[in-house]
Amino acid sequence: MSSTDKRKVTAEDIENLLEVFKQSGWDEMHLQTGDLEIFLSNDPTAQGPRAATAPAAAAAPLAAPAATGAAVAPVVISAAGPSGHAPIPAGHVAIKAPNLGTFYRAPKPGAAPYVEIGQQIETSTEVCLIEVMKLFTPVQGGVKGIVREIRARDGQMVEFDEVLIVVEPN
Amino acid sequence: MPIRRVLSINRGEIAARVVQAAHALGIEAVQAVSQADRDSRAAQLADRVVVIGPPPSRQSYLDAQLLVHTALQTGCDALHPGYGFLSEREHLARLCAEHGITFIGPAAETIAALGDKLQAKAIAEAAGVPLVPGTAQLAQAEDAVAAAVSLGYPVLIKASAGGGGRGMFIARSREDVLGGFDKASNEAREAFGDGTMYMERYVENARHVEVQVFGDGTGKVIHFGERDCSIQRRYQKVFEEAPCAAMPDALRAQLHRSAVDLVSSLKYRNAGTVEFLYDVDRQAIYFIEVNARIQVEHPVSEQVTGHDLVRLQFEIAAGEPLRWTQDQIPVKRHAIEVRLNAEDPYRQFQPSPGRITRWVPPQGAGIRLDSHCYEGYLVPPYYDSMVGKLIVTAHDRESCVIRLQEALARFEVEGLITNLPLLRFIASHPDFVANQLNTRWLEQVLLPAFEATRE
Repeated sequence: MSSTDKRKVTAEDIENLLEVFKQSGWDEMHLQTGDLEIFLSNDPTAQGPRAATAPAAAAAPLAAPAATGAAVAPVVISAAGPSGHAPIPAGHVAIKAPNLGTFYRAPKPGAAPYVEIGQQIETSTEVCLIEVMKLFTPVQGGVKGIVREIRARDGQMVEFDEVLIVVEPN
Repeated sequence: MPIRRVLSINRGEIAARVVQAAHALGIEAVQAVSQADRDSRAAQLADRVVVIGPPPSRQSYLDAQLLVHTALQTGCDALHPGYGFLSEREHLARLCAEHGITFIGPAAETIAALGDKLQAKAIAEAAGVPLVPGTAQLAQAEDAVAAAVSLGYPVLIKASAGGGGRGMFIARSREDVLGGFDKASNEAREAFGDGTMYMERYVENARHVEVQVFGDGTGKVIHFGERDCSIQRRYQKVFEEAPCAAMPDALRAQLHRSAVDLVSSLKYRNAGTVEFLYDVDRQAIYFIEVNARIQVEHPVSEQVTGHDLVRLQFEIAAGEPLRWTQDQIPVKRHAIEVRLNAEDPYRQFQPSPGRITRWVPPQGAGIRLDSHCYEGYLVPPYYDSMVGKLIVTAHDRESCVIRLQEALARFEVEGLITNLPLLRFIASHPDFVANQLNTRWLEQVLLPAFEATRE
């Protein structure tokens, strides 16, 4: 519905429109004329007029009954997680987190770290601790070689499969 | 205490729903995902995504320690469990409480009490809520006959120690009782070492109805009307609607009152659903259980009342009072939800995960889709097969059914095998249109008719 009529829309016009809508049995009415846009709906959860080309969204949060037509604020997506980390150098092997948890380089606070950069490790060498709710689990190297990088930071949460340590096998 | 940042620990459509509800309230959302769900819609919408474990649920969505650890490490002050997975585990609610994280759901003690079926029944009985009428143990066949007369035929005679249908039978007459009692009792004695029998009223023509309730934790409870979820396959709901159009108003009032009395007696906090069996022939309702979580089918209640229930979950969890009174929640309109599953209705409902190559859901007035899917999305094989919920709303059931038929006809999905043909078949079946069905209808009437269309 649109009009090229330049006449100003009066409160009476809107009242009449509401009456027409009430009597109609229609679900929705969307009217645009000049600067004025009116959206009427019988659906208390209506989000306002649908854009004809809008892609189907997942469950749009329901607006409060009175607040139809409110725009949904855009959301910032931060690409956190292991996928964002630097690649592993050719010929090197990554020791990854077997589960999510807090990464510790040493068996207890103040103790010497399990491993240092440049150190030779065996497959059975314990290289760090992962803690979940006070349950500390040592992680073994699983590879024989020299520690080249320690990527996870002491005391920080690491996600499942995140690269902890990079080893050059020998 | 206001919530600033929530950890969403579920997956699929409800995770996306939770993240969006949080954002609508200005709350930051961290989404916990398994490795298989990195590309999920909830992950795309969330402010931060944390990979908590490998795909199997046991090592990800079912590990309460891992999830609470994640909440603490990511600075979340609240946790939303969704439905399924850990949503009704007392352990998780308790762990959250111990670590100062607001669990968006009932108190741990409430979850524990309601999770024990016998205890839940005792709570219901104490609150004056009707249970399926039954007897204590019956010494002999003559006692059973007397009991059956007072309960009314048909009755179900069961072994106290029974299970798996052994030592159990349906009696429709005095002759049935006399003819079956000793045989069933002997069968029970042989199978379980105990021949003790008891009896319950047998509900032949039942509907599954449930009441959506909300409590503020002080005893104040309001309801958001009832839902009729009688169309089920193997106890899995397929269609859900609100209100239960088949129920007379007087019984509906009793249903709502029973649900509110029950949860009010527990000083229930947050969202819950009280499930009942609706005995259509006797026009009676019997308590089944309380689900202490938000449910899959909550959108139909939202549609008919105009209230956002997930948002309300956040508000109650944050300690806000229930600001609505019962008369502010009139049930207008009619809504029907159908569950779209990635499963093959022609091959024993075999799951059929895969990549969605075409996804064109219907749009229009009164049509809502709650889904985490999109074109190009890979439905992983590790979890349940639901890919979306189509919810249609109209001013009455008749127009709602027509709207549903049209919406389903326009729904296009490719790349996956879905149950769309079955949903369309149900929506057009004369029994469904006329609302002449019960909890056994789908398996006994509809599915055989559906399979016959294949040839």
